[in-house]
Amino acid sequence: MLRMLDVFRRDRTGLVALCVVAFFVLLALAAPLIAALYGKNPTEHYGQNEAGLLSPEGLPVLPNGGMSGDFWFGIEPGLGRDVFTQLLYGIRTSLLVATAAVAVIAVLGVALGVTVGYLGGLADRAFTFVCNVLLAFPTLLLFLALSPIVQTRFVDPGENEPAWMQFTVLVLVFAAFGWVPLAMVLRTTVRSLREREFVEAARAVGASRRHIVLRELLPNVWAPVLVHITIALPGIVTAEAALSFLGVGISEPIPDWGRMIARGSEVFYDDPTYMIFPGVTILLFVLAFNLLGDSVRDALDPRTRR
Amino acid sequence: MLSYLIRRALQAAVVLLAISATAFALFYAAPSDPAVIACGPKCDATQIAAVRESMGLDEPILAQYADYVRGFVAGRTISDVDGTPIACDAPCLGYSYALHEPVRAAITSRFPVTLSLAGGALAVIVVAGIGAGFVSALRRGRPTDRVLSGLTLLGASVQIYFLGYALQYLLVYRTGWFALPGYTPPGEDLGAWAAGLLLPCLVLGFVNAAMFARLSRAQLLEVMHEGYVRTARGKGLSPLRTHLKYTSRGAAAPLVQLLGLEVGALLGGAFITETVFGLSGVGKLAVDAVVQNDLPTVVGTVLLAAFFVVVFVALADLVVAWLDPRVRLA
Repeated sequence: MLRMLDVFRRDRTGLVALCVVAFFVLLALAAPLIAALYGKNPTEHYGQNEAGLLSPEGLPVLPNGGMSGDFWFGIEPGLGRDVFTQLLYGIRTSLLVATAAVAVIAVLGVALGVTVGYLGGLADRAFTFVCNVLLAFPTLLLFLALSPIVQTRFVDPGENEPAWMQFTVLVLVFAAFGWVPLAMVLRTTVRSLREREFVEAARAVGASRRHIVLRELLPNVWAPVLVHITIALPGIVTAEAALSFLGVGISEPIPDWGRMIARGSEVFYDDPTYMIFPGVTILLFVLAFNLLGDSVRDALDPRTRR
Repeated sequence: MLSYLIRRALQAAVVLLAISATAFALFYAAPSDPAVIACGPKCDATQIAAVRESMGLDEPILAQYADYVRGFVAGRTISDVDGTPIACDAPCLGYSYALHEPVRAAITSRFPVTLSLAGGALAVIVVAGIGAGFVSALRRGRPTDRVLSGLTLLGASVQIYFLGYALQYLLVYRTGWFALPGYTPPGEDLGAWAAGLLLPCLVLGFVNAAMFARLSRAQLLEVMHEGYVRTARGKGLSPLRTHLKYTSRGAAAPLVQLLGLEVGALLGGAFITETVFGLSGVGKLAVDAVVQNDLPTVVGTVLLAAFFVVVFVALADLVVAWLDPRVRLA
């Protein structure tokens, strides 16, 4: 463990990536504070309330999407909201969905993977079959198709869906398919671990199955879990943005990167700036996470050292 | 090999059957009432009840599924919202009340777009992706490797919905270097077909190629130091011939498997790419069907996508078994 931290500390790219990720998390946590200091909020229609910001066609009057000292990243065409605070609160949306989904995935994946890996036999066959079926589903299409269906199940038509429910639906849909790769990796890990001496020794002194799984096997699988989490998290962030881009996902007025891109695509030729900000933000975020993921893997698995 | 082939084919068939049952249960049995959606917003309760009866939705779910499977194998007659019968030949995937045509017809008319896009993207993936991985591995640590690895990282991080619009703005709208993306049947005008699909194929290919470049680089680096490769070099084979003949064969298995998955996924429709570039392929059909709550089309496209994935993953497994005798004996 210490050796791994040491390897990681000497990896300069990994440290920079970690700083960028930490910066994003900090921005998300401090969003209300930053917005208060900056003096704007993500929901107010500044462009419509103040004259001279938007043209009659709804486009920002100032060049570069209306960037100015008052509106650092410009204003949204049409509704005239502030881009900077929308992006800022968008981090919260993305991170909330992604971290919650990853947490559920980690719990499900570890529980299923470790149990099945230890039990083997019939449980293992059933597990492999279910995984094969789930892996063959076109994930994005299924996310796309499932979210509205799950929503209509719990919300009466005509009624607005509360925000917490939108988040829950997204998290559940992502988790329902996300646990598969993690559980499959852990199953393989545990299958080889269970033949090792320390497990045999525990069995020899009469340890219960429960003890072996919880106390002997579980502490040894954190490395693949950590690697999987750093890979899965940016994947969920982009999938969430893709859903919003395609028209399902978190709805107005909660700020969302994917929906900003979708709105940006409608006015792209007249006001490309509005799309560049969320596009570059997602790129930076995912890039930092990919670099971090590489470094974590390198630190934990000496074979893949670059 | 033959027993492996039979075992793998059976396995694929069972997985497909399970997928069709799951998809059916998810979309038909669950929440939103297909009759309400098919009938439209203007229907009252009695009309909805009539539609439900004519669509067979009042029957138990298992009977409905049996109907669906029977329709796929032997064809069946489906009644329209007003009760007029519609013949649906095998393989019948149901009837779309939103598009007013059988789901299979809707898919087949759009499939050439998806097929062209998948073919182009696949060419980019194989040439640029796997090629870049090869060159990177051979030039490990040198500037070429650094540049290629940087590009790969960019490809793995950038999103099609951003890159697609950005390039369309720069290369089509501002400079006019690329033709406006669109689909012309290749039989009509081969040049226009290629020109209209060039940018979408490059974007879709670039984003997906990154994964292949990383995997092939890692695989090659691992296999390069195996004993049998060193033996080949020791016997006096040139480095290039050694790598082409021995290293690549040893490194191929995971690449072939990933390629199988990728081909299957591409043929199921490129949802985002088709939306970004306004191409009406199977992916766009699926996205529109979801937005309009057109359940028969959703189920049809989900099944089609799953079918391609299952078939090509199985094919990839066969290729791997052919490459590596250890697999087929396991």
